[in-house]
Amino acid sequence: MSAASAPPPSPPPSSPASPCLLREAQPGRSYRVLGVDGDDALAHRLVACGFWAGAVVERLQRAPFGDPLLFRVHGFRLALRGDEAARVRVVGAT
Amino acid sequence: MTAAQPADAPPQTRRTVLLVGRPNAGKTSLLMHLTGSLQRPVNFPGSSVECVESDVTEGGTALCIVDLPGLVSLQPNSRDEELALAVLQGRTRGRPDLLCAVLDAGKLAVELAFLRQLRTLGVPIVVALTKVDVATAEGYPVDVARLQQALGLPLVVVDGRTGAGAAELRRALAALPLVAPAPEAAAGAAPVAATPTRSIARSTTDRLDRVLLHPLLGPALLVAVVIGMFQLVFAVADPFIGWIEVVQGWVGDGVAAIVPAGAVQSFLVDGVVNGVGSSLVFVPQIALLIAFVTIVESTGYMARAVFLLDRPLRKVGLSGKSFVPMTASFACAIPGIVAARILGDERDRLATITTAPLMSCSARLPVYVVLLAAFFPPHQAGLLLFLLYALGIVTAVAVALVLRRSVLRGGGSLLVMELPAYQRPRLRLVLVHTWFAVKAFLRTAGTVILVATIVVWALGYFPRPAAIAAEFDTARAAVVAGAEGDEERARLDAAEAAAYLEQSWLANIGRAVQPVFAPAGFDWRMTVGVLAAFPARELVVPTLGTLYSLGEVEASADEPDARLSTALRAAKGPDGRPTLDSLTALAVMVFFALCSQCAGTLAAIRRETNSWRWPVFTFSYMTALAWLAAVAIFQIGRWLGYGA
Repeated sequence: MSAASAPPPSPPPSSPASPCLLREAQPGRSYRVLGVDGDDALAHRLVACGFWAGAVVERLQRAPFGDPLLFRVHGFRLALRGDEAARVRVVGAT
Repeated sequence: MTAAQPADAPPQTRRTVLLVGRPNAGKTSLLMHLTGSLQRPVNFPGSSVECVESDVTEGGTALCIVDLPGLVSLQPNSRDEELALAVLQGRTRGRPDLLCAVLDAGKLAVELAFLRQLRTLGVPIVVALTKVDVATAEGYPVDVARLQQALGLPLVVVDGRTGAGAAELRRALAALPLVAPAPEAAAGAAPVAATPTRSIARSTTDRLDRVLLHPLLGPALLVAVVIGMFQLVFAVADPFIGWIEVVQGWVGDGVAAIVPAGAVQSFLVDGVVNGVGSSLVFVPQIALLIAFVTIVESTGYMARAVFLLDRPLRKVGLSGKSFVPMTASFACAIPGIVAARILGDERDRLATITTAPLMSCSARLPVYVVLLAAFFPPHQAGLLLFLLYALGIVTAVAVALVLRRSVLRGGGSLLVMELPAYQRPRLRLVLVHTWFAVKAFLRTAGTVILVATIVVWALGYFPRPAAIAAEFDTARAAVVAGAEGDEERARLDAAEAAAYLEQSWLANIGRAVQPVFAPAGFDWRMTVGVLAAFPARELVVPTLGTLYSLGEVEASADEPDARLSTALRAAKGPDGRPTLDSLTALAVMVFFALCSQCAGTLAAIRRETNSWRWPVFTFSYMTALAWLAAVAIFQIGRWLGYGA
């Protein structure tokens, strides 16, 4: 399932596929969730909203003042603040 | 089947069904379709959280269906969710007989994860799958047959809009054997979900969001929506308020015609009828506001407004979700305070509840209108009106900032909020929500306003020295008959009413308290008006009308406000100088803008916070701020050479 093990027919030109935080996600790009940090209400909430390992997340709009951020996960739209999105570790997916 | 039931299970002919699901999953419209619209809101003991339950009979089984507040997992994150969980686990109302899991087909992957948690409760489950059409439009069609097979639970597809599938669901709920659900099959239902048919093609919602969440267009459109809401609420409500006042006048006249003049007549007309009328005049605006907010919410736009405003509101210590209660408070703080329930964090909620009453509500508007018309030319009046509204907002922001950095420091609610796909609003849902809001208002605020009106009436009516009656009876006897005499008699009646009021306990309290307001330039009559307004602001205009000897201000002329404005301008003190001028009027208006003069609001805060601490705090800080601001305006203004 992971992006690295599959033989890539056309490697994405500008994705190093190195892990990053969901907060740093680029608009219009998709990411695969690696995990959610922490064991508090926010972490439980994020998992309940579908940010579990393997889930695919697409970064959509950003609010006018740079925060919150909008994501698509499992086909619906979820708004997260920057510091909420910083709890989710992701890796670029094509 | 019966052997599997616990010994204390209720008889099989009656079943308690809990509707469980995410917020927005379509539980409320499903309930309406399941049972018709005969619903009753129920309050959970020891809390303010209301949910709706409704009964229906299906094939000899009575179903009591309870619509729980939305849940996304079994880990609660707000008061609403804590309560829903307590009911779900049988800690509040006894063990439920079965659950109806309302799952949104558009987010099947997370819904199935939630369903897996629900199975662990050991309560029988029927799945209601909603919004299959939305899921298809968004590019995630659902294979219902495969899903049902994978789940191993009874599953019914329902349409919250048309009600299709509701009858089938009702039958499933009545017929389900009451046994705990089997554990999920090893493979689980997860593979059924999350197989998008398209990922590049964009849905209508994506295209709309490109405009409505645009960095520049988005905020501009939001401002337009809010302005449009106020225009609508005020413009549409106005004739209704007029009719209520006319009917109140008729009823008052009718009672006056039947009951002989005296204390009983005055109690019925000026106390009871006036009190009921004073509560009812708020109903049109509250109903329209709730209808508008429900429409905006059910289209999916409210979540966008919260998204756009989260950052700026967070800067002042609130949350994007505070937008909803704050906006509602411009019409009336009571539904606004109730709406603060959507805030997950208790500190955010308290900061919102305690500052929402600073938004200039519709009851302040008549005070502004009368005083602006009396003392300011039209071109200044419009600007001042805007500034008075701005003053409320700026003060609320400042107070919220201080609170969040002192007594309510730390924490903060989570956002993690779904932006649902755009949908057409549902008229039935709008009507039901509006009806509940109006009922709740009349139940809590209405009774408080009625009692307060009667108290103010009693203070203003008693004592009635016989000397005044004798004096005016003599004067009336001297008046000639005919049209000219009628006018003179009406003038005498008004003067008599004013004379009684001057002797009343209310006036004595006003004169005793007046030194407190003297630094703000209020005369004793304005002080009485201010005091009479503490239970409810709408009492101030009639009270001032009587004090400035107009008789019945509201029911008298075509333009009662204009008459009161003239009378206010003409009022003279004992030294013959005008007691009110533009500077005093400004001080009065600022006082009204900031002061907590509404027993209904305080009752709502008491109810929503379950303690006296927050209503007492809100009342104290607002009244102190109002007094300080009024004194500052009057003193600085006079120092600058304005006013008398």
